[in-house]
Amino acid sequence: METKFKEILAQYTTLSADEITESTRFRDDMALSSLDFMTLLGEVEDEFDIEFEESDAVGIFTVGDALALIGRKTGNE
Amino acid sequence: MKYYPLTAAQNMHWQWIREYGTQQVSGVSIVASMKAPMDFELLKKCILEEYGRYECMRLRFTKPDRNGVIKQYISKEIPEDIRLADLTGEGTLSGADAVMQQWAYQTFDGDNVPMCEIRMVELPEGYRGMFVHMDHRLVDSSALGVMVSDIFRLYMHYQFGSAKPAEPASFAKVLERDLARASEPRRLEKDRRFWSEHFDTYGEPLYSDIQGKSVLEEARKRHNDPDLRAADIERKELFVTVKDYYLEPKPTKRLLNFCTENNISMTNLILFVMRTYLSKVNDGQEDITIENFISRRSTHDEWSSGGSRTIMFPCRTIIRPETEFLEALYLIQQSQNQIYMHGNYDPAFIREEEKRRYGTPDDTGYVSCYLTYQPMMTYNTSEKLKNIPMHINWFANGAATKKMYLTVSPNEKGEMKFSFHYQTVKLDEHDIELMYYYMMRILFMGIEDSHITVGEMLGRA
Repeated sequence: METKFKEILAQYTTLSADEITESTRFRDDMALSSLDFMTLLGEVEDEFDIEFEESDAVGIFTVGDALALIGRKTGNE
Repeated sequence: MKYYPLTAAQNMHWQWIREYGTQQVSGVSIVASMKAPMDFELLKKCILEEYGRYECMRLRFTKPDRNGVIKQYISKEIPEDIRLADLTGEGTLSGADAVMQQWAYQTFDGDNVPMCEIRMVELPEGYRGMFVHMDHRLVDSSALGVMVSDIFRLYMHYQFGSAKPAEPASFAKVLERDLARASEPRRLEKDRRFWSEHFDTYGEPLYSDIQGKSVLEEARKRHNDPDLRAADIERKELFVTVKDYYLEPKPTKRLLNFCTENNISMTNLILFVMRTYLSKVNDGQEDITIENFISRRSTHDEWSSGGSRTIMFPCRTIIRPETEFLEALYLIQQSQNQIYMHGNYDPAFIREEEKRRYGTPDDTGYVSCYLTYQPMMTYNTSEKLKNIPMHINWFANGAATKKMYLTVSPNEKGEMKFSFHYQTVKLDEHDIELMYYYMMRILFMGIEDSHITVGEMLGRA
């Protein structure tokens, strides 16, 4: 799951999948706009066959936050 | 030859062409030039090479079928020549711009024809470069900027040996991915449900106009319906003119800092200001809808493959007067983020749903104002060009489908440009001046005191 997520992320940023860590921040380190971030969530939903609530996006600042959320949604915590 | 259906963004332009009866509504034009000597034979070589690299430049459209549906395909044909136009005789850059403005009004007529024309131009005051005229179904403004930049980078590569720009992503590949995603049944259902719940919650939108309540009142009389909530859209007199305002670098910096400090996007800040102005001139109306264009361009491939990815969604907010400025901004941000999550949806379905639910009469709508916020685009990416003056100008296509369309963009001088495109049959410069003046008042009232309420702003503005 983590590898696949980082591969998706690498399409959105100048960082390579190897450079992305759990502490990488979406806004400050990857320069994602809110539109980019919400688009990313849509792609993650399709890839992992999960569904986010709009409120899920609140409090997701780092790759680690997102991985924990995907883990909860997929039951792979 | 492989034929593809149009994407939602392309279809938006195609439907406008059909509804308004002219391709002019879908034209996009720019001149990009620099004050430097130029080897036009080399520039021609670079432009022709770009036709090979940037597939969307070769897009063509089939004849409409009996239902008005067209398909797109990537032609293999590359023009044999690129003309050079000498406009030095016009004397000034503004004189040359006036000539190119006329070129921008020209239409691409016919089926299966090229929808992209590039002319090299020699301009007064020592500027040289190219004029590009295209159909918006091929490119949005970001894609056009990327294309122009790529041509100049190719030129720098051949002329000065700088690194050759990387090959753009395949337009066809990205298109196939977009089409597959847009038709994925579960995603479609999720998006449809979101908008359906939106209308269930908020009910029918209410029209607001920059000229005040009288516009809706007139529509109610015309349709003999005192409860009508939509107003008429101009379909015949489409002539548009442009009025630009520039916010100076210092206040622009304040805006940018405010957005960073409060984690608010500039788009949402401007949406707030526009909707508050509309509320002010519509007797404090709380339910306001503005159409906001978003560019669905997030991944590397989406950025470099070209194409038209800009699409508009209604930004509807119902904000009570006791709401504080910052709180209102977060409400807009929350609403926009929800829409972004459903950004692959075709907005034509939203309009169909409105019509189905509320039976709005033909040629009426809920929106008078449209917004695009364009982050700064840099065309001049080479060190060698860094200190060379550029002349870049976007030309209006002369036919607006929208009553008032505002494009806001920061520029290289540190200013914020507010470019108002408005239908002259409905609006004059005074309407626009008033709007800009009050927008700035509202904006800085909020920046200076983020606890001020919307009601207080309406009272003081």
